[in-house]
Amino acid sequence: MFVEYVWLTVLIPLLCFVIVGALGTRIRHGGGLITVAGAACSFIIALLASYEFFTSSDYSEVGYVTESLEWFTVGFGSTSFTISIGYYLDSLSCLIMMFASFISTLIFVYSLGYMGDQGIKKRRYFAEVALFLTGMIGCVTASNMVQMFIFWEIMGLCSYLLIGFWGFGHPEAKQKASAAKKAFLVTRAGDVCLMGGMFVLFFEMGSLDYVTIFNGANLAAADPEMLALASLLIFGGAIGKSAQFPLLDWLPDAMAGPTTVSALIHAATMVKAGVYIVARCFPLFCMNSEVMLFVAIIGGVTAFFTATMAMNNFNIKKVLAYSTLSQLGYMFLALGAGGYLFALGIEEGSEELMAAGALGYTAATLHMANHAFFKACLFLGSGSVIHSTGTEDMRLMGGLGRKMPITSITMLIATLSIAGFPFFAGFWSKDLVLDVAMDAFKDAADPTCYVFILLWFLGVVTAFMTAFYMFRLWFMTFSGKARENAEHCHGESPRSMALPLVVLSVFALAFGFVLLIGYDGIFTIELVAGNWIVGGQAGEPGFHWIEHLFTNPYTYLTIVLVLVSISLAYLMYSRGSVNPGKFNKDGQSLLYRVIANRWYLPEIYDQTSWKLGYGVAKCVDYFDRNIIDGSVNGLANAVIGGGDAVSKAQDGNVHTYSAVVILGIVLLFAVAAALVIFYGVIA
Amino acid sequence: MDVTWITDLIGNYAAVLPMLILIVGALLLPATNYVFKKRLPVTSIAMVIVLISLVFNILLLTGTVEDGGVKSAFAHTAAGLFAYDDFSGLMILLFQIVLAIVVFVSGESNETTKLHFGAYMSLLLIATTGMMFVVTAVDLIGIFVGVECVSITSYALVALKRNDPRASEAAVKYVVIGGLSTALTIYGISMIYGALHTLTIADLGLALGAYGYSWAFILGVIAMVAGYGFKIAAAPFHMWAPDVYEGAATPVSILLATGSKKMGLAVFIKVFLVMFVAANALSGIDNDPMQYLFAIIAAITMTIGNIVAIAQHNIKRMLAYSSVAQAGYILIVMAVMSEYALTGGIFHMFTHVFMKGGAFLVVGALIFAGIGEKISDYNGLAKRAPWLAFAMMIFLMSLAGVPPLAGFTSKFVLFSGAIYGDDGVITQWIWLAFVAILNSAISLYYYVKVIRAMYIEKPAKDAKADLKLPKTFCVAIAVCAVLVVVLGIYPAPILDLCAEAASVVFAI
Repeated sequence: MFVEYVWLTVLIPLLCFVIVGALGTRIRHGGGLITVAGAACSFIIALLASYEFFTSSDYSEVGYVTESLEWFTVGFGSTSFTISIGYYLDSLSCLIMMFASFISTLIFVYSLGYMGDQGIKKRRYFAEVALFLTGMIGCVTASNMVQMFIFWEIMGLCSYLLIGFWGFGHPEAKQKASAAKKAFLVTRAGDVCLMGGMFVLFFEMGSLDYVTIFNGANLAAADPEMLALASLLIFGGAIGKSAQFPLLDWLPDAMAGPTTVSALIHAATMVKAGVYIVARCFPLFCMNSEVMLFVAIIGGVTAFFTATMAMNNFNIKKVLAYSTLSQLGYMFLALGAGGYLFALGIEEGSEELMAAGALGYTAATLHMANHAFFKACLFLGSGSVIHSTGTEDMRLMGGLGRKMPITSITMLIATLSIAGFPFFAGFWSKDLVLDVAMDAFKDAADPTCYVFILLWFLGVVTAFMTAFYMFRLWFMTFSGKARENAEHCHGESPRSMALPLVVLSVFALAFGFVLLIGYDGIFTIELVAGNWIVGGQAGEPGFHWIEHLFTNPYTYLTIVLVLVSISLAYLMYSRGSVNPGKFNKDGQSLLYRVIANRWYLPEIYDQTSWKLGYGVAKCVDYFDRNIIDGSVNGLANAVIGGGDAVSKAQDGNVHTYSAVVILGIVLLFAVAAALVIFYGVIA
Repeated sequence: MDVTWITDLIGNYAAVLPMLILIVGALLLPATNYVFKKRLPVTSIAMVIVLISLVFNILLLTGTVEDGGVKSAFAHTAAGLFAYDDFSGLMILLFQIVLAIVVFVSGESNETTKLHFGAYMSLLLIATTGMMFVVTAVDLIGIFVGVECVSITSYALVALKRNDPRASEAAVKYVVIGGLSTALTIYGISMIYGALHTLTIADLGLALGAYGYSWAFILGVIAMVAGYGFKIAAAPFHMWAPDVYEGAATPVSILLATGSKKMGLAVFIKVFLVMFVAANALSGIDNDPMQYLFAIIAAITMTIGNIVAIAQHNIKRMLAYSSVAQAGYILIVMAVMSEYALTGGIFHMFTHVFMKGGAFLVVGALIFAGIGEKISDYNGLAKRAPWLAFAMMIFLMSLAGVPPLAGFTSKFVLFSGAIYGDDGVITQWIWLAFVAILNSAISLYYYVKVIRAMYIEKPAKDAKADLKLPKTFCVAIAVCAVLVVVLGIYPAPILDLCAEAASVVFAI
């Protein structure tokens, strides 16, 4: 009974957007409370609908429930196709819908305090974040690709508006506005790919409804090469949205927006949409093992490179941004490795390989949920720190632990979680991810499987680095002695900001335990004509993964590495007994400089776009100015001149008008006569 | 819903029931004006009458009748002269909506007459009744009389803005050119009778198949195209339109631009489309020359309308030329002659009512508030009347065909009708779709010019900050704006009605 009303989760935030947008200036808090209430309602409905979905046998046997209205039909008769609008609910959309609305609610509550001093700008802020949430929930509950794409674009628009929130009337307005533009343009490159993927998919399958395109029989009947092309193009969209290599450069710059917006983008919405679309298209991607291999490579490489970038950055938000990229890389690695095994399983008809592959899907979605909680907690915590110290540079902080106890403890929990400290949420999912990568190497009998040993190695090194840079962040901020800005810090943030932190830290601590109660037992995706259900080990709660984890020697390896790197960070940044300068020649070593310059990726972009682009641009410019512009200007002048001339012909004299009418008839008759004679219809 | 009770009550005259109600209203209104001597009560009574007529039409359009246990859609012929079917019902609905908008705002507009308000209202109702008779007529004489009924009342409506010399001039021009057109029409009808020996619309196709093309027939068709092209304001018969729209009171401009123009298009569809398609289907007569003729008219009309609109400084004249261009788009239907294109054409007629009507309403509201008709008078409007400027932007964007507004959706269906035929094969009219799309791009230029004036230009120094806007106009504008957005996003219900109407036209 709640499942049918799941569309309200989209409609309510949209309504909030309209109300706050139109009347926000006349409401107290700029309509903030309305937005909070809207997000909370949305969360409650999502919760009830998900509960019903997971418990009712009507739904759990089929694995999804969908309902659509006909939106409009293009074309006529047998050649027409219909675009519908509706909802498609399965365990994946339930999960994302719940954590997106829940975390958004907390972030909006936090925003009441964080944005409290923004005056009239609050209306714009609260309206836009409400629309942002609409975009995310709409994206994950849509029943077809077109509808999903509309909400996907709404999110793109909102990210542009919110990253550029301080794009005017702010000391650094120019820089902020250009960060927003960068985010918009780079994700646009991905969106073009996604659109292309939709075209290919429509061309091949004749529909964009999930029910049709993810039906096993339809997938098996389609041309695998076209499906591979569609998958790669759709993955291109995910690369743009989730800022994976090589389109990763926009996300660190996107820190220009308010910290709450960063939390929203990184934890609840936006970048998760990229992971979502790959997880949603899992059945499609699984039709080709090479596509999944590519996904895994992109994920593993991104996880490693962005983790290195976080190692020596001093901006608290930038470190968190890089860590998001790195964690998203993990998710793609898990999806890729799992899908790779799954695809091989389909090729060979091996149930075992498919079961091993299913773990990748479970690991990725669990890591996505865990990441949402601890990253939201970290960003809100950093926002709290920035709010009270007035800087984002960690070198100016330190010793805040005593002044801001709640922030420091909650952030410590989230840091432990992201570092993969045993029994914290991040530990479970991260080790499952690494486990899947290892399985992909061990189980697959394909020569390409050697790639996965490399990816596994990158993943383990990344786990080591993650623990290091996250504790570097925590120690530099909260322990040691207070430096410049930290000295005049005015204590803990208001209650509206502290409360969400506490709630989120509880989830960052404990959400991993859902594995124990059968997370992957209910967390299913229907695949290949309904005869295989990923993660759906019916009657066997997820406990077997726990067993799997703790009998696996590699798990202990990562635990040891994490503990070592935490101690290293402690020695370097808290006790100061090890000077980090020793390792990098006081910031002079080549590696340090390379990393500090983001592996020169921005330079590479700039240089390629500058040298290559400028050359091309010059040619195009010449062509444009002299040929296109020339003809357009000529045409425009002719049009405007023609308009003037014709309107002068309209001199207002009624006999001129009559003469034109008569002349028109004569001309029409001449034309008709010519046509009639040409076609020979009058003998 | 079962509407048998209506036919039980008045028999076959149910087909003309919406018109009968309006005629009774038209007779009553001068008397009510004599009693009340104020505009508001007269407007209210007129509005009630229009709404009653509207409700009955919706009942007939969507309802079913039961005859001997067989349920069927309501379709009747009254007195062997007027036939009601899904197509005519939908067109009647369109005219009633236009009339409702016009009547609703007439009472408050400062451009309409105060002294002769009863007569003015009465004329509005009669003009609309004429349009309704045209779409239900079963022969050319019925159509001719209906069109004359509209023409003569609209001459008077234009002239009723008595204190403005521009109105008198426009009315005189309208009468002269209108008279010329009437003469041409009746000449064309007599030629066609001479060539085909029948005036019944349903028989024209068969007769054309029997007698074949002849010079007399071609001359008759051209003369009729010219005569009704005047109503549509198709080039080169459009030159009266800007003068008349500019000179007439804004509500009357709305009636002419969105109502009377659609009547002309309905005549084209009822007479020529049906005749040529039937002749082709029944006797294999080659339609191509006539299709090309209409294609050329469509291309010239949309191009002239758009190009001349660029040079306009008066917003009413600009909207008039844009109406010319929109008529050109709808004339694509006549060139393509397919069911899908006709669906798009009827749908575009509907969306055009709201977007063009809405734009004229904004102009009318601003005239009431003391702002002129020049585009430069709109400078900085977004600061002075933000909601009104926003609504105007929506209407103009929709007219240009920007998604997701109604104008985009209807143009999309209409133009794709020119690209894909009913059998899903690409038609030979793809060039016409290309011309239309190019024209849409050109049109963006002059629509954006107005938006630029409203949002970017600074208001004049002496401009008052807040404007006193007429309430009825604001309500009507809001309704139109919402419909423009809703029809753009969710066109399915009205598109279904259009598809049904189109299939009735093609069920020969």
